[in-house]
Amino acid sequence: MNAIQTPNGFTLDNSGKRVVVDPVTRIEGHMRCEVNLDENNIIRNAVSSGTMWRGLEVILKGRDPRDAWAFTERICGVCTGTHALTSVRAVEDALSIQIPENANTIRNIMQLTLQVQDHLVHFYHLHALDWVDVVSALKADPKATSELAQSISPWEKSSPGYFLDIASRLKKFVESGQLGPFANGYWGSPAYKLPPEANLMAVAHYLEALDFQKDIVKIHTVYGGKNPHPNWLVGGVPCAINVDGVGAVGAVNMERLNLVSSIIDRTIEFIEQVYLPDLQAIASFYKDWLYGGGLSGQNVMSYGDIPEHANDRSFNNLLLPHGAILNGNLKEIHEIDLKDVNQIQEFVTHSWYRYDNENVGLHPFQGVTEPRFELGSKTKGTRTNIVNLDESAKYSWIKAPRWRGHAMEVGPLARYIVGYAKGIPAIKEPVDKLLTDLGLPVTALFSTLGRTAARGLEAQYCAHLMRHFQDKLIRTIKAGDLSTANTTKWEPDTWPQEAKGVGTTEAPRGALGHWVVIKDGKIDNYQCIVPTTWNGSPRDPQGNIGAFEAALMNTQVVNAEQPLEILRTLHSFDPCLACSTH
Amino acid sequence: MSTYPDSFYAVMRRQGISRRSFLKYCSLTASSLALGPQFVGNIVHAMETKPRTPVLWLHGLECTCCSESFIRSAHPLAKDVVLSMLSLDYDDTLMAAAGFQAEEVMEETMRKYKGRYILAVEGNPPLNEDGMYCIVGGKPFVEKLRYAAKDCAAVIAWGSCASWGCVQAAKPNPTRATPVHKVILDKPVIKVPGCPPIAEVMTAVITYMLTFDKLPDLDSQGRPKMFYGQRIHDKCYRRPHFDAGQFVEQWDDEAARKGYCLYKMGCKGPTTYNACSTVKWNDGVSFPIQSGHGCIGCSEEAFWDKGSFYDRVTELNVFGVEANADKMGLVTAGAVGVGIAAHAAVSINKHKKTETHKKDSL
Amino acid sequence: MSSPALTQEPVYVYEKPVRLWHWVNALALVVLAVTGYLIGNPPVVTGGEASDHYLFGYIRFIHFSAGYVLAIGLIGRAYWALVGNQYSRQLFVPEVYRKAYWKGVFHEILWYLFLVSEPRKHVGHNPLAGLAIFLFFVLGSLFMIVTGFALYGQGLGEGSWADRLFGWVIPLLGGSQSAHSWHHLGMWYLVIFMMMHIYIVIREQYVSRQAMVSTMIDGWRTWKDDRP
Ligand code: HEM
Ligand code: HEM
Ligand code: NFV
Ligand code: SF4
Ligand code: SF4
Ligand code: F3S
Ligand SMILES: [Mg+2]
Repeated sequence: MNAIQTPNGFTLDNSGKRVVVDPVTRIEGHMRCEVNLDENNIIRNAVSSGTMWRGLEVILKGRDPRDAWAFTERICGVCTGTHALTSVRAVEDALSIQIPENANTIRNIMQLTLQVQDHLVHFYHLHALDWVDVVSALKADPKATSELAQSISPWEKSSPGYFLDIASRLKKFVESGQLGPFANGYWGSPAYKLPPEANLMAVAHYLEALDFQKDIVKIHTVYGGKNPHPNWLVGGVPCAINVDGVGAVGAVNMERLNLVSSIIDRTIEFIEQVYLPDLQAIASFYKDWLYGGGLSGQNVMSYGDIPEHANDRSFNNLLLPHGAILNGNLKEIHEIDLKDVNQIQEFVTHSWYRYDNENVGLHPFQGVTEPRFELGSKTKGTRTNIVNLDESAKYSWIKAPRWRGHAMEVGPLARYIVGYAKGIPAIKEPVDKLLTDLGLPVTALFSTLGRTAARGLEAQYCAHLMRHFQDKLIRTIKAGDLSTANTTKWEPDTWPQEAKGVGTTEAPRGALGHWVVIKDGKIDNYQCIVPTTWNGSPRDPQGNIGAFEAALMNTQVVNAEQPLEILRTLHSFDPCLACSTH
Repeated sequence: MSTYPDSFYAVMRRQGISRRSFLKYCSLTASSLALGPQFVGNIVHAMETKPRTPVLWLHGLECTCCSESFIRSAHPLAKDVVLSMLSLDYDDTLMAAAGFQAEEVMEETMRKYKGRYILAVEGNPPLNEDGMYCIVGGKPFVEKLRYAAKDCAAVIAWGSCASWGCVQAAKPNPTRATPVHKVILDKPVIKVPGCPPIAEVMTAVITYMLTFDKLPDLDSQGRPKMFYGQRIHDKCYRRPHFDAGQFVEQWDDEAARKGYCLYKMGCKGPTTYNACSTVKWNDGVSFPIQSGHGCIGCSEEAFWDKGSFYDRVTELNVFGVEANADKMGLVTAGAVGVGIAAHAAVSINKHKKTETHKKDSL
Repeated sequence: MSSPALTQEPVYVYEKPVRLWHWVNALALVVLAVTGYLIGNPPVVTGGEASDHYLFGYIRFIHFSAGYVLAIGLIGRAYWALVGNQYSRQLFVPEVYRKAYWKGVFHEILWYLFLVSEPRKHVGHNPLAGLAIFLFFVLGSLFMIVTGFALYGQGLGEGSWADRLFGWVIPLLGGSQSAHSWHHLGMWYLVIFMMMHIYIVIREQYVSRQAMVSTMIDGWRTWKDDRP
């Protein structure tokens, strides 16, 4: 085949060697990636496919809208809670339900908790092994590791003895011959650039972060009863506040508030003394690996989230920025109207679904989810044993959402680009500082590493916002407002016969929207467009490629047998396939 | 930090068993196997160097929150489970290798530890569309599941997905998502339901198997009795309010702030078998009821299709009519009542006529 | 047995144990329905220490006690069907295998539809009543006893007698929550029986050709006329 030019500016050529990565691991859910390499091992065509579908949108039809949060929450256990929050917001929007200030505050704390915990787990447990060579850590000198650690952070666990302990545990582990999750990794690949000491430090923090992440989510447990999958409520939050009356022991009381506060303090400490220094240290060794920009330099989008005040839906009330950027023009930030049928549409030309007319997109209020699994005529293999996908036909369980016809990138990097372009100090200043420290230009943001860096900076920002809202909660309680739920419209007989609403959040992986149509007290239509639906999108009828495919383009692969570079770039998005297809 | 290699001995040590009792255990084993004392040394050696039990952790249709729950385990720490107690050879969510290198690892474990590895399954296989609602390596997940189950010692069905089907199997179950025990028929399947299950319950079930070298006792539904033998309600700390008849009537009312029973808000604690009210969540911090929301019954089969989470008397589907028992009953009883009244009116009328007729004819 | 009576002599139909059982059983059922309804839709007590109240506990206790009365009563009644007079068996074995029986049912239906001018006389239950009592009361109470004790077994715990005897119905009905719903629906089934039953016996008391309510009190079936 000759090279084809996509409308969004990529040259696709599938004539070279086809390499398949399936399963793509260290992500949520099931995903397949195929690329074509030219004779210099450069990626010239990228095909990403979501390979699972459960049908939540179909299952939700006819159900009680007040129950929908629990169903949608189970779209994903990794970004647990964000779908639930999006869902209650959609239902509240449809029914014009106002929530109490405390409910808004508690929801924000829970959403920020998720952001921080998910980012941390992503960095250490899903992404780090793309940059960190565990086996090389065996060669590290514990003393030198300690010096390295102490030179970049005041974190207390940094003595030579500590690293010696880790090293010997690692050594025994490796010598046992049972490498567990580390078996068959790409250890020793020349694509790994860290010195042994940095590797050992990262391994130590891999383990520490594994221990620590479980403490962060206790905030969900306090306010929502458990994690994963805490509880939510249409009209507010289910936890009642009672700080000094009879029965306070069973409610949000001083002890609970103190528990949350202490976790927030330790979270800020961990992010600032472990996560960010590690991020910067690792980045400094990969500064010249600037692949993976994809759509980030062109089209990015953020719905915005974390409303400072309850029930104020205006954009300047949001602490995570709102807006879209097109064609890399940072000077113009577009407002997004999620109810405008001309702005957001989903296409299924290359997705395993059926529309009556597949050349037109549908706005989610009119959205249709009707599965149809069929492979293109150029597929290699059989229907139940796919060797190579045919990307000219349907090839993914992910739909293709477009904003004003454009494929968009969403996620921490998108949020940070929008925030940077808006000049929001809390976002712009840390970005500038990091870039200066690393000696990189702003354009370096548009890369795989940029995505990874934005996530780290965002974790820090969100951790501080947690403190802000926890303090606010205490202030409101002090002022005598204990209210956490508004039940005036709890009963379905108070609802209009027909209503429509949209709910959004900025999920860890990006802009998330739920659209709900309620008729006679039941869900008539429910549609979700999820961050990984945007990023993992297959092609549209015009041939625009989505963010994953775009980011893989033109990357040099060191060893075609070892898909390390592909994993790096895909992981930088933190793909969530259960989310993307739902 | 623990000693390595993490043999049976090391695991026992961590459980607080001394070297002396470990040696005693070994000689007991020797005699129970009818071996002479000269064999004790060998057993000690084998126990000390026994390889960690390999675990293959497969993912079907799911949300990965069982994995997320697992890594929240506080005792033992997930880190220690993965590094020292077992060998997590395959787990797409955490493993370093991808693509064919990942598949190779699975093959190798299956070959080397034939009949001795544990198959842990999160999520479930869809059976519609030839299984292609969940594709791994270009093939239906159900094939991989059957293949991996072939030589395993036992299957652990993590969570409500693997145990019952969970949310994707809620009506109308578009993909025909099917729980593991309906696909794997020839191996013991241990169900650890919950959406997700409690982290410490997950690690306890698996360490029980490693420590005591046997499968846990299961109830008639295939769940370990030790954690699923009682209902949330049986051990709920709000139970005195239930017995007193003190209920939350509305969200955030006075009773909610006092921590009264959530029965009337639809709490499914009385019908849900799980350990939440005792083990609690996230290192014992809280559990759904303690944080003000009723139990939604997340460890019960098909809890998604039992009517609203907020109703106490929930919907039933009787001959295609979907309504709760009180609605169905009131409507029918009302109709019968009207029928009786009408019948009585006619009867009285007729009776009077006959009576007068009788009188007249006298 | 349920064939039209040809006599005008009073007949001793319901022996003492049957009569005693009938009234105890009726009381148990009323108590069960009221307390059962309250279990599904609890009344409210607010305020005070939880330990000062046990209202819901008592409601449930009364329900379970009445449940035992119902179950043991039915067992006793079944025993009496073996040793009692011929009419004592009618409750459990409607003679559905006899053609005459169905003719009788048909005749009763016509009578209730005001399509025949005179009912027949019956020493025991009339065939329609016998059928209704069997379908509604016997099967209904058995269902309630089985599901009730299965739910009760959940409280007693795994391995308890109730769990071992009846635990199997819970998965069969689709789990504990569904079992509650079915048990709850069963209450309405029996409420409907009680409504119809009480209406019919009182009506028959006036319009039939035989004594009704008094039969359940003193046991004697007496007749209002001496025609066959
Ligand atoms: C015909 C007689 C009966 C009637 C009308 C009746 C009615 C009811 C009703 C309406 C409920 C509430 C169900 C719900 O919505 O959760 C209930 C619950 C219950 N009944 Fe019965 N029932 C009867 C017989 C029995 C028997 C024989 C037993 C055996 C002991 C029994 C034991 C129970 C139990 C254990 C519960 C659940 C209580 C709880 O969850 O706290 N019932 N009954
Ligand atoms: C409310 C609960 C009641 C229940 C569950 C109930 C149940 C029954 C049952 C099972 C029988 C058949 C007895 C047998 O063959 O052993 C019966 C017969 C009878 N019941 Fe009731 N009963 C109730 C209330 C009453 C009341 C309030 C009256 C009187 C006003 C009454 C009058 C009779 C009479 C007269 C018979 C005999 C019918 C006949 O001879 O064919 N019952 N009842
Ligand atoms: N994509 C995605 Fe999610 C996130 N973050 C949801 O909205 O991961 Ni499971
Ligand atoms: S059981 Fe629940 S928690 Fe576990 S994977 Fe399934 S949906 Fe997620
Ligand atoms: S809150 Fe739920 S589990 Fe607890 S006592 Fe009340 S009904 Fe039972
Ligand atoms: S909802 Fe699930 S987490 Fe426990 S309290 Fe109920 S079983
Ligand atoms: Mg969708």
